[in-house]
Amino acid sequence: MPEKVVVTGMNIISSLGLDLQTNWNNLVAGKSGVKKISLFDASRNITRIAAEVPSEFEEFSRKYIKKRAGSQMTRVTKMCVACAKEAVEKSGIDFEQMDKTRCSVILGVVNTGNSSTEKETTHQNRIFKSMTNSMSAWISLDYQLMGPNFVVNTACASSAYAISLGYEMIRNNQADLVIVGGADSIVNFEEIEGFNSLYAISVENNPPEKASKPFSKNRDGFVIGEGAGILILESEASAKKRNAVIYAEIAGYAITSEGYNIMAPMKDGEGMALTMEKALQNAGIYKEEVDYINAHGTSTELNDRYETMAIKRVFGDRAYKIPVSSSKSMIGHTIGAAGAIEGIITILSILNGIITPTINLDLPDPDLDLDYVPNQSREKEVNIALSNSFGFGGHNATLVFRKYS
Amino acid sequence: MALITENTRKEVTDIVYNFFADECEVDIKDIHSDTNIINDIDGDSLMFLELIEIFKKKYNLDIELKTIGKYSVKHPVQTIGQLIDMQLLIIEHENKLLEFDQ
Repeated sequence: MPEKVVVTGMNIISSLGLDLQTNWNNLVAGKSGVKKISLFDASRNITRIAAEVPSEFEEFSRKYIKKRAGSQMTRVTKMCVACAKEAVEKSGIDFEQMDKTRCSVILGVVNTGNSSTEKETTHQNRIFKSMTNSMSAWISLDYQLMGPNFVVNTACASSAYAISLGYEMIRNNQADLVIVGGADSIVNFEEIEGFNSLYAISVENNPPEKASKPFSKNRDGFVIGEGAGILILESEASAKKRNAVIYAEIAGYAITSEGYNIMAPMKDGEGMALTMEKALQNAGIYKEEVDYINAHGTSTELNDRYETMAIKRVFGDRAYKIPVSSSKSMIGHTIGAAGAIEGIITILSILNGIITPTINLDLPDPDLDLDYVPNQSREKEVNIALSNSFGFGGHNATLVFRKYS
Repeated sequence: MALITENTRKEVTDIVYNFFADECEVDIKDIHSDTNIINDIDGDSLMFLELIEIFKKKYNLDIELKTIGKYSVKHPVQTIGQLIDMQLLIIEHENKLLEFDQ
């Protein structure tokens, strides 16, 4: 019998806060973290807004990262490491009591953010700051873990892939504990310019907090967000052995490729639907059991249209009864970190019986007619929930979370 | 080729102690000649290279990294005292460090 995989720790750093509880409170309140860009002078960019992590982060990170190591990390790497260390601390893990050869780190990392925005890059630290594997390496080094540590890059689905791979390692008895998640920031001149040229990001700079509006008729692209999300995955046996608090169970997942286009999702959401179908099969879940879907919900024309079509294709008439919401309406699109952050929000919805809203849904798109939990959070018992992540390049992932009992 | 005076020794020692105290966030009073750089104060091998760069600039040294690399294979540095001694030898002999060693 394969091991049951449970979540025993989690943490978020985002534009809405530097810790899990602050993030959750702000998400439930339907707050937006989107503001005018402060990390660099964006006056030459068409888009001049983003969901930046609060400026207090640098000081906050010193609690977890020594000066010497910090000088070899980018701001994004620090987000990842600080997020992971707080997750480990709060989950009460004592690695000295564990078999470190069976503890791993798998992260979704698209880049380390060693861009023109990054400060204090020198010829001596440039390589360390640029190494995408540095995030998993630093975490592994900090706890002297000896199981594999590595990163996976599947664009916006990266950290959902990391969670999937961590789940597999535990399920297959290759690990007792895997730290999974991701961190990202593309708040810099060149990437914003690049996404502007692809017409992928919102150009509605005023007011910033209204720019990310998934599923609405006037959506005009995603809003760049930054942050980190970390989960501690553990075998149920390991969690029970150390009397850990268990937040949820990962019931299953699916990762697929669309084989279609480097940027656009497969027509009518066929690839997205396939991914959700496979995830439900993998988890052994009936469609009638799904209580909530945390959507990829980017606020782009195609994603929101196709994701809606995909949900209808999978769930039929029941699609209209399943609340579907987009966290990106509040924290923007955190790219490599999105899968982990939104997975954690999904778990918090299960734990608290509250579904976070899709804010800025003031002008509904008549073609998009599901229950998107508009503008206000909602109390609802959630036993089983999906979290979708779909990335440029046709990288799809759906995670299935179940209330632990 | 420079003459190492007591003044040079003191200057190098002060720079090394202050560098490690600052980078490793430890009290300078806790750093001694026999302090192990990695085990005692959580230092790393890159710090050695950074110090060489500092001394190269300060004393205008003509020394190639490969020369230091070859020397340190035979004379590995583990403690603060060993590191100071090696820096003084580098200042004294520069690129002739290996000739001195023969």
